[in-house]
Amino acid sequence: MQGRLVIPGELITTRRMKLGPHVFVENGKIYSDTVGLVKIERGSVRVVPLQGKYMPKAGDVVIGIVVAEEYSYYAIDINSFYYSFVPKEEIKIPLKKGTIVSAKIVKVDEINAATLSDIRVFRGGEILTISPVKVPRVIGKNASMLNILKKGTGCSLMVGMNGRIWAKGGNIELLKKALAKIERESHLSNLTLRVQKMLEEEKKKGGAFGKK
Amino acid sequence: MAKSEEIVYINSEGKRVDGRKVDELRPIKIVPSVLSRAEGSAYIEWGQNKALVGVFGPREALPQHIQDPTKALVNYVYRMATFSVPDRKSPKPGRREIEISKVSGEALERAIFVERFPNTTIDIYVYLFDSNAGTRCAALTAASVALADAGIPMRDLVSACAVGRAAGTIILDPCKAEEDASDAVDMPLAIMPRTKEVVLLQMDGLIGKEEWKKAFELGIKGCLQVYEIQKKALKRKYEEIAEEEEKTIKQIDKELKKVEKK
Repeated sequence: MQGRLVIPGELITTRRMKLGPHVFVENGKIYSDTVGLVKIERGSVRVVPLQGKYMPKAGDVVIGIVVAEEYSYYAIDINSFYYSFVPKEEIKIPLKKGTIVSAKIVKVDEINAATLSDIRVFRGGEILTISPVKVPRVIGKNASMLNILKKGTGCSLMVGMNGRIWAKGGNIELLKKALAKIERESHLSNLTLRVQKMLEEEKKKGGAFGKK
Repeated sequence: MAKSEEIVYINSEGKRVDGRKVDELRPIKIVPSVLSRAEGSAYIEWGQNKALVGVFGPREALPQHIQDPTKALVNYVYRMATFSVPDRKSPKPGRREIEISKVSGEALERAIFVERFPNTTIDIYVYLFDSNAGTRCAALTAASVALADAGIPMRDLVSACAVGRAAGTIILDPCKAEEDASDAVDMPLAIMPRTKEVVLLQMDGLIGKEEWKKAFELGIKGCLQVYEIQKKALKRKYEEIAEEEEKTIKQIDKELKKVEKK
């Protein structure tokens, strides 16, 4: 496993350290606030959560679904606490209910409502979902995992930080299998290698369907 | 009810009605992530008590006027199934259920970082299928595991356990027969194990100061035992996957070696 497995309220260290996400200090000691794996790097400590909801963060690229069209704005579901509203003036092309879009979060206010910009429309394809806390594992270091997935399945992919993945073409069934594996084994090391092996094996088995 | 037979609560060997020692809990089994639709869930078997917990949220609190812009609301719903008691229980939530929902919700609110999720609500639904005293403790224990399973940030887990008195002896985790003793005292207790901060304390019956202190200390010990079980339950899921993977990797290595030999 990568790092020590901790549960909420479990002591991580008594040393003074820089605080990363999912840790808190009480009486000079550092504790975890969630179920996750401890990562200590260059004097800073953080916990990589294994479960959780998506918390919008400025700078994230997310995949949203248009849920409503009103007179002057669209309501977009980004898998967070509230729908985000985008004025129609900002978008040149007319959107419909159910359209898949990608957007960049420019601002998150004190009640965690997100303001979106850079709306891009996706035509066709499919939306797959995984737990938002596991998105970094789907991308991997320097997008290594993402490249393996693209190569192995032949899909064109777009990963949103909110746990939605847009996929088009290629072998989507195989992609689903690979994502399930990532989700199940995200807390183990050498995941990229194992997913690569799995994809290769499936390709051998799959024949014409897998050769795509 | 006429007393035809005198029940022996503590026999000469120091064993209780169900064969436990004075400071022994009933067997507890907790399984997290049992529901696929809920964001977090847990199933608990605490002796004869059986409960299922589903956690949703934090999600937007609706209608809007119940929202609190400073913190998340904790909506704890404790319900007993109609078939969970000897006589049929009315499915309508009664006085008892509403009270337990309120105090348990407040106990969990203390452990959750509610201030991080303004205007939202965290819904916790607990359903009991079978009961034999100490259901609110079982429900609260399972609920805190389900919250951790949902990935909701918490200061600590909440561990609960009841203490009581039967036939003049302070006992841990009383069962139904012991709760019905003539001098019975029942005290459900919930703490945050790290700081031993008490988040829930209720009591039924008459008890002296010295005896109460003894009971309280025993209760804390019981809660710490429950905490160890919760901890194991939460970690087991991931450790199992790790073990399984290690096995398959070893198998693949073996096969590769065989091929090399050939």
